[in-house]
Amino acid sequence: MIRLRLDGRGVFQILAAVFLLITAISAGVPLSTPAGASAKGKITLAWHAGFASRWLDPQEHDGTATPDNFFTALHDALIKNQGTALYDHPALAEKFAIAPDAKSATFTLRKGLKFHNGEPVTPQDVKFSYENYRGAKADVFKKKTDRIEIVDDRTIRFVFKEPFLDFAILFGTANVAGPGWVVPEKYYKQVGPDGFKQKPIGAGPFKLVRHEPGVKVEMEAFDGYYRPVNAKQLVMISVPEAATRVAMLERGEADIIYNVPGELIHKVSKLPGVTLAPVLSGSFFIEFPGFQDPKNPFRDKRVREAVSLAIDRRAMNQTESGGMGKPTGNWINNDVLYAIEWPEFGRDVEKAKQLLREAGYPNGFDVDWVTPIPAFYSRGERIIAQLREVGIRGRLQTMERGIFFQRLQGGLKEFPGTQIILQGVRIAGSWSFWYEGYFKCGGFNSRDRICVKDLDGKFDQYERSINPAERKKLAEEIQRGILENYYLVPVFRHAFVNAIGPKVVAQKWQDVFPTITTGYAYPWEDLKVKDQ
Amino acid sequence: MTQFVLRRIFYSVVTLFILSATIFLIVRLTGDPVALMAEASARPEDLDRIRQQWGLDRSWPVQYATFMQNAFKGELGKSFNYRLPVSELYFQRLPNSLTLGLAATLISLLIGIPAGIISAVKVNTWWDYAAKGVALLGLSIPGFWLGLVLILVFSVWLRWLPTSGAGDWRHVIMPALALGWYFAASMLRLTRSSMLEVLGSEYIKLARLKGLPDVVVIAMHAFKNALIPVFTLAGVNMVVMVNAAVIIEVIFAWPGIGRLLYEGIFQRDFPLVQGVVIMAGFMIVAINLVVDILYAVIDPRIRLAR
Amino acid sequence: MATIPADTRLAPRRETADKLRALLEAAREAPLLAVVILGGLVLVAVLADLIAPYDPTLPVKGANVFDPPFWMEGGSTSTLLGTDFQGRDILSRLIHGARVSLIVGLMGTLVAGSIGTAMGILSGYAGGWVDQIIMRVTDAWLALPAIVFAIFLAAMIGPSMWNIIAILGGVYWTRYARVIRGEVLTLREREFVKLAEIAGASKLRVIKKHILPNVLNTVTVLASLTVGVVIIAEASLSFLGVGVPPPQPAWGLMLSEARPTLMAGQWWLTVFPGACILLIVLATQLFGDWLRVRLDPQTRNL
Repeated sequence: MIRLRLDGRGVFQILAAVFLLITAISAGVPLSTPAGASAKGKITLAWHAGFASRWLDPQEHDGTATPDNFFTALHDALIKNQGTALYDHPALAEKFAIAPDAKSATFTLRKGLKFHNGEPVTPQDVKFSYENYRGAKADVFKKKTDRIEIVDDRTIRFVFKEPFLDFAILFGTANVAGPGWVVPEKYYKQVGPDGFKQKPIGAGPFKLVRHEPGVKVEMEAFDGYYRPVNAKQLVMISVPEAATRVAMLERGEADIIYNVPGELIHKVSKLPGVTLAPVLSGSFFIEFPGFQDPKNPFRDKRVREAVSLAIDRRAMNQTESGGMGKPTGNWINNDVLYAIEWPEFGRDVEKAKQLLREAGYPNGFDVDWVTPIPAFYSRGERIIAQLREVGIRGRLQTMERGIFFQRLQGGLKEFPGTQIILQGVRIAGSWSFWYEGYFKCGGFNSRDRICVKDLDGKFDQYERSINPAERKKLAEEIQRGILENYYLVPVFRHAFVNAIGPKVVAQKWQDVFPTITTGYAYPWEDLKVKDQ
Repeated sequence: MTQFVLRRIFYSVVTLFILSATIFLIVRLTGDPVALMAEASARPEDLDRIRQQWGLDRSWPVQYATFMQNAFKGELGKSFNYRLPVSELYFQRLPNSLTLGLAATLISLLIGIPAGIISAVKVNTWWDYAAKGVALLGLSIPGFWLGLVLILVFSVWLRWLPTSGAGDWRHVIMPALALGWYFAASMLRLTRSSMLEVLGSEYIKLARLKGLPDVVVIAMHAFKNALIPVFTLAGVNMVVMVNAAVIIEVIFAWPGIGRLLYEGIFQRDFPLVQGVVIMAGFMIVAINLVVDILYAVIDPRIRLAR
Repeated sequence: MATIPADTRLAPRRETADKLRALLEAAREAPLLAVVILGGLVLVAVLADLIAPYDPTLPVKGANVFDPPFWMEGGSTSTLLGTDFQGRDILSRLIHGARVSLIVGLMGTLVAGSIGTAMGILSGYAGGWVDQIIMRVTDAWLALPAIVFAIFLAAMIGPSMWNIIAILGGVYWTRYARVIRGEVLTLREREFVKLAEIAGASKLRVIKKHILPNVLNTVTVLASLTVGVVIIAEASLSFLGVGVPPPQPAWGLMLSEARPTLMAGQWWLTVFPGACILLIVLATQLFGDWLRVRLDPQTRNL
């Protein structure tokens, strides 16, 4: 018979001992770093969400504007977007040429390139990375590529079956696809795709020191990089709560924080030594699902125009982005191929009311649901308040993120009756990706909710065309068609507001966020820590 | 006795079985993970490819059978998001969560037990009200708000403690306080009622009759006997704190299991959510099993009664 | 002259001591205080439409966003407690929020109590394997996080206040089940139950006539203690983005939505809803404790 003896002191002692032991273990051992070239100092980035391990492997690029933050530190591509270059900044390739008929592309690697494990970067690795690529738009590359020729030990040529006009854009934009990002073939095969995501080895400016999945990525400067790397250590930590990130910045625990919420912009701008970096980012626009239904009030162009006239874009920008976003004319960002410039839409409540009267709604009408993209609910609330002024009465529908995207996938049947969706997205590369994703009938997110036949017809023509001049003309016609008919109503481009702490060298925020095609602080190798 | 233990183990297995089926079903009804693994420019072909890659194209019974088959081998599947076996992820995070859970349990005991004793011994006095007030306060403030207030005061204003993350003992204080304080109230209640029960018993009355001073009676006898249920509850609370301290771990960017669960749910990482829930269930079942058996060992009547 | 200082030194001290004692005496009626708070909140909730100065879901015309309370610089008496990030009147939102929070708290408790009591009675009265299964499920239920339920229900039926009530009821029933089962186990052995059974009363009748009335005290005590927990849980769900959907003015939602402003110094956005939550939870807890002393046989005989 066991006697149960639990007296208070004993238990406390055991608890305390275990507690201390575990604290000691989890405190960890400090990292010793080998003396590198001239790199010095440590930069800590507080990331605004969780980490997905696939973001460390360009071979499985998910097609979102997220993984480039990690690729650009650990890996490198033949060509990439950097600074004001949209896709053609020469990186691992010192030069490249697209054949005039767009049926081949030839790249020449820099001399003496190395992966973090010391192995040389060879054309064979480039070939492997391209052929083994399984991420977003992989099928496009597969379909169009005929063969890959290794010309010599630094030159590689991609030969296409037909003219591949979008090749360089798809290949070179870090936030679109990943086949141009070079991984070491031997190592990748040795550890496998999953192993690679735990301990990635690349040819980027920083090499991995420690990876705590979902929590932290610790990196240090890679001596073998072809450009000088300024900071010795680069640490990315996942901090989902915005207020906590701001506290970290204020305490000096983080040097760069992403995504300062609207309410804290003013406060952060006043912290000593802190620079705000309001990067123009995603575009927000209004969609009228199923507007072509005869019973839908939005079938009438005048009603859609009235919605546009009712919206106070400047107030939206002021309150939601601290005035640092941009009320836009086009729903497509202007940093992509063939995007057209369009004047900002005006606000005129009286005219909106008149248009509604003309359309047969003197007393306005009810909208079943106004659904903003999660978690931008307050933007939806503002739109509801503004529409109410002209007599359009909507109710807010909130959805958890995963549910929202699943409903979008479900198409029109998930949005019956009279509805408004406030979409918000950033897509890099080409205007056509925006059209395909958010307008085209059958598109990934648009499904069967919009479907304008003549524009879709023109878009097919655009896709088939191999004449750049004709393509440009079609692209502009289609965009005009959408805007003039208010098929989508642009609201504003919000600012992805980041903040730079006093430790990082920055005369102006663009020094740290020079790349216009992203909200992130790359190229990482350029970040410098101030002398003490 | 053996029969009793065997029967208990059998029931525990049934519990875990029910739990696994429930979580398997519920998590699948929360939506499609594939819509979140690809975005904006993906095509239907991409989605099918991802679905196939993760075996999500198979029917639910087949998926469940595979899941259970692996679970018996101690494998909980591979996380969609982290590409690691769930068990490996779980044990990577476990030390952090145990640290937080133990520290928070300590705090809940340190607040709850003294408060419980005070309010049992000094019923309806100001001591009673003050003790109750302190213990109840932690229950009355939403955890995320308390957490942010702590960060504001102790990290930003006073600069005493680091804001977030795991590291040395200073990192543990605020999350453990925010988490443990919430559970202090339940500790207070249980301590107080156990104490009152014990203080009212013949045994204690006898001790008092013998002329032992109150302090001795309380410390030596009443407290000791009141502790068993308190520590049982503390154990179960701790399992919850270790496995589901979602809010506190998010606020303090604490790299524990709660955040694994948080991201798992929002990313529809089915194997991860299933795994964490099964592990938590396993711990709770194990604690209850051990406590049941211990009680049965102490008090043979329990064995016969059931 | 020399003696006066001594007197003046003593007199005020005695006075303050008396005052303090009076205060102590008053506060001994803590349940009374709790009752007053709860009664006041119920009144506010019922009369919300009459007493709230503005529509809680729309911006106040003429007011800015982040107007401070009226006593601070830049504040206005037209919006007494200031405005939030949408320019809505915080006071009106708090008043209407009392309704939402009370409905969520009470209904959530009712759902949890009903499921839990039914399960507890079933478990305790049926015994055998039914009992064992229910008790094991109760154990395992602790491992199912509320957030999983929340997203599950949001996916199935869309977000709403009633959805939140269902979630909270689905989470908190287990504590009733366990306690009620224990009570039923002892009741089952009592003479009057045995007699009723011998007299041929059906099981349902025994439960209705003899078991249920005898566990109601315990249910009441548990319920009073659950209300506060449910209200806190509602706030937590809002933090996780799956709580009462905006723009409904629930206190938990207000607190969660405004949490970044805590760091920016606009304290009135969080402190008022936070204080309301604190008040109602503390009040229900104190009330529950008092009820417990009155109704719970275990502690009644002290």
